[in-house]
Amino acid sequence: MPSRRDFLSMVGLSAVGASALTMWPSVTRAATGADARFLVLMLRGGLDGVHAVPPWGDPAYARIRGPLALTPNGAAADGTPAALKLDGSFALHPSLAFSAQLYAGGEFMPLIAAAPPYWGRSHFDAQDCVENGTAVPHGAQTGWLNRAVAALTGVDGLAVATVMPLMLRGPATVTSWSPPIPMQVNPILLQRLEPLYGEDSRLAAAFAQAIANQGQDLAVDRNIQGGMAASMPPGMRARMASNATAMRKPMAQGRLPDLMKAAGTFMAQNHGPRIGFVEDYGWDTHANESQILTRKLKELDDGFAAFHAAAKPVWSRTVLVAVTEFGRTAAVNGTNGTDHGTGAAMFLAGGAVRGGRIGGQWPGMAPGELYQQRDIHATTDIRAVFKGVLAEHLGLAEGELASRVFPDSAAIAPAAGLLRAARAAA
Amino acid sequence: MANDQWRAAASAANRFGLGARPGDLTQIDDPAGWLLAQTRRPPSGQEAFDGLPDSLDYLEREADVIRQRRELKREGLATRTAAGAGGKPVNPLARIYVKAFGDDLRHEALARWQLAATTDTPFSERLVRFWSNHFAVSVDKGPARLYAAPMEREAIRPHVNGRFVDLLLSVEMHPAMLRYLDQAQSVGPDSPLAARADQRLARRVDGAPARKLGLNENLAREIMELHTLGVNGGYTQADVIEFARALTGWSVPYPTQIEHGIDAGNAFLFRAPAHEPGVRIVLGRRFRQEGINQARAILADLAMHPATARHLARQLAQHFVADRPPSTLIERMTRAYLDSDGRLPALYAALIRSPESWAADARKFRTPQDFVVAGLRAGGIAVGAKPTPWEGFLQRLGQPTFMPRSPAGFTDVAGDWIAPDGLWKRVQVAEAMAERVPRADLDPLGLARAILGPGLNRETERALAHAEAPQQAVAILFASPEFQWRV
Repeated sequence: MPSRRDFLSMVGLSAVGASALTMWPSVTRAATGADARFLVLMLRGGLDGVHAVPPWGDPAYARIRGPLALTPNGAAADGTPAALKLDGSFALHPSLAFSAQLYAGGEFMPLIAAAPPYWGRSHFDAQDCVENGTAVPHGAQTGWLNRAVAALTGVDGLAVATVMPLMLRGPATVTSWSPPIPMQVNPILLQRLEPLYGEDSRLAAAFAQAIANQGQDLAVDRNIQGGMAASMPPGMRARMASNATAMRKPMAQGRLPDLMKAAGTFMAQNHGPRIGFVEDYGWDTHANESQILTRKLKELDDGFAAFHAAAKPVWSRTVLVAVTEFGRTAAVNGTNGTDHGTGAAMFLAGGAVRGGRIGGQWPGMAPGELYQQRDIHATTDIRAVFKGVLAEHLGLAEGELASRVFPDSAAIAPAAGLLRAARAAA
Repeated sequence: MANDQWRAAASAANRFGLGARPGDLTQIDDPAGWLLAQTRRPPSGQEAFDGLPDSLDYLEREADVIRQRRELKREGLATRTAAGAGGKPVNPLARIYVKAFGDDLRHEALARWQLAATTDTPFSERLVRFWSNHFAVSVDKGPARLYAAPMEREAIRPHVNGRFVDLLLSVEMHPAMLRYLDQAQSVGPDSPLAARADQRLARRVDGAPARKLGLNENLAREIMELHTLGVNGGYTQADVIEFARALTGWSVPYPTQIEHGIDAGNAFLFRAPAHEPGVRIVLGRRFRQEGINQARAILADLAMHPATARHLARQLAQHFVADRPPSTLIERMTRAYLDSDGRLPALYAALIRSPESWAADARKFRTPQDFVVAGLRAGGIAVGAKPTPWEGFLQRLGQPTFMPRSPAGFTDVAGDWIAPDGLWKRVQVAEAMAERVPRADLDPLGLARAILGPGLNRETERALAHAEAPQQAVAILFASPEFQWRV
């Protein structure tokens, strides 16, 4: 296969890809009346798109990913089952079984190598940029999704969050729904706390016992950002291997499925919110990535399934977009994880999505193809994706999108053809 | 600000107060003075409780509920349970109670949370909570349930910066304590009431008591053991019985009395006919007073007993300084108390002015209640319209409000709270609380420095800087070891 892949219905990446846009207005007006639903799922922490959507056909993949490499041809070295093959180039992580089903039904689209305009690798700044909708962190005090709600008439917005996230803060009145107290703790949070408690002689033993009681297996990563801790403590590998089996058992549903179910339930109501927002944490996999993502991607997959079940009446009119603030390094670090990177995966799901294919443009992951010799080079601005959905699915005018919703973004053309033409015409 | 000064400000806000809010540490330029000022006047924030019923209101409404329940029982409804909404069986008796008092219980709790989260006199407020726990009432005992929160407002709050004897008297006369420790039913064996009851029992007249009336020594014992002298305070079983006899007649208006229109005018009722006549000898001293004044005199005596002074000093020092406070500190506080005729501000001042209270090894582990309140204050979290989430957290963390299940109250010693499950649940609650922190302009690292001062560790600082999201950084802060300690 070619190391660079161009897909048939590529997402618009550059300003010049605007030839299709002349048709835009007529299509969008038709779609607007359709009582469309749009949900944004924000995965905070930086989901490793390369692990979620393994580019197994890329000749550089297996070598650079080493222990984290997945293939549809068999289980990985650490026992992770075979990936779910999508085509000759890409697969889905085995935890994403429901997503693969949707893909087969044409309702799911992984979109590869996407990033916000900020490429600086700070979680906070990148998330701020994803949410505020400008080209820079702190470029606006309000969120683009709120401004989109404001630009639509008679549309309600909903945040499934205790406190209003930036993406939904702003002039439009939006509601929020409080999720229940988390029963499962974000594994990344535990990973961060473990070394801190190790330093407190009075609390260390009790905390270690607490972790052990919960069956959590978290490598102590004392060099998180550097990511190059020489080797694991003795016994850690054995412990990981024995736990890897346990990790593959079906997990108790995490928090995300509950939140997605709530969002689906609210949005399925006749006069319910048409725009929704859900967020999740725990994607910052600097260490033990394989185990953590096996669990987290299962939660994500269960989340899609929970939303799908709860929003059944409106599923055909729904677009769900999962987005993260950045991808991760192409290479594995010294603690079986990956560090902050750039190009990331997005997921589009829903009955209105023209899925069953890969969106975006794969830049390749051979050394010469990486951004700054380390990250997946982003080839899609996430704003193009959101602009495409807002225009095609919710009927927002391009001028409005380029000035109010995503200020000064006229150069970023809305991605064309993300949605089913049949639906758009209906 | 010099580092010592900064550390002292952090101690004032976090160890003596309820937890720093952003900006607090820079405003406390004289930590000892800031604390002392809070002991010179009654605690602020009384208006938070405006509009809540007083204990007499509760007694009256409770009498009405008891009447309704009696009628229901007569109709035979009490024994069966009707199917409520969702097919869940509903006990009609329980429903009446919730209908009558559910809102009150919520309002009481809410006012308390709001005050704790926002007060500008957090040392006073911690003292209120300290005394409330010192005079613990556990609401799992049904008859006391409605009165624990009112007791704190009515009997403790007004006296927290006054003389201990006034605090002691008002607590022991409160319906919460009188009911919780079974004093309300205690009758002197040789009292006129007991004699009449014996006669009626013997003649089996209608309406005779079901059992012989007699002495209950529960309150007398706990006053000596927990509220005043301390368990090694030198009293004997004979002293307990003598004190219990003196306390007979200290009671609460009965529901039937209220129902029959007997206006008590007060939630405390002295039942003269139940009082044991005669002179009492307690701790070697004779008390010849009659009626209500006898136990009052004993309480006044107990309040100024050196063992009481030492017990209170030790408890306060243990609460504010260390699980094993230095004996020099306890000694100095004891003397200050006795020299000031039992004035609590003098006791507090000795605590605040002692160098031991500011020593490098002075630290306390946050109880769950401290932990949640500190999170609210640090994060600027709005308490909201319902106390439910916060009460729920405390339940999960093992410190449900007003429910220590023992008159000894909740422990404040680290070893009793440091357990794997407790720490695990703190992480869960930290995550849930962090989600409630307002996000606009959230700067977790700045927040951590602002509330922990020099107590913030480098490792934690690093973890905060590398957190996945500001919200997760705040979760790390709340769950960090530093946040579990009052340093």
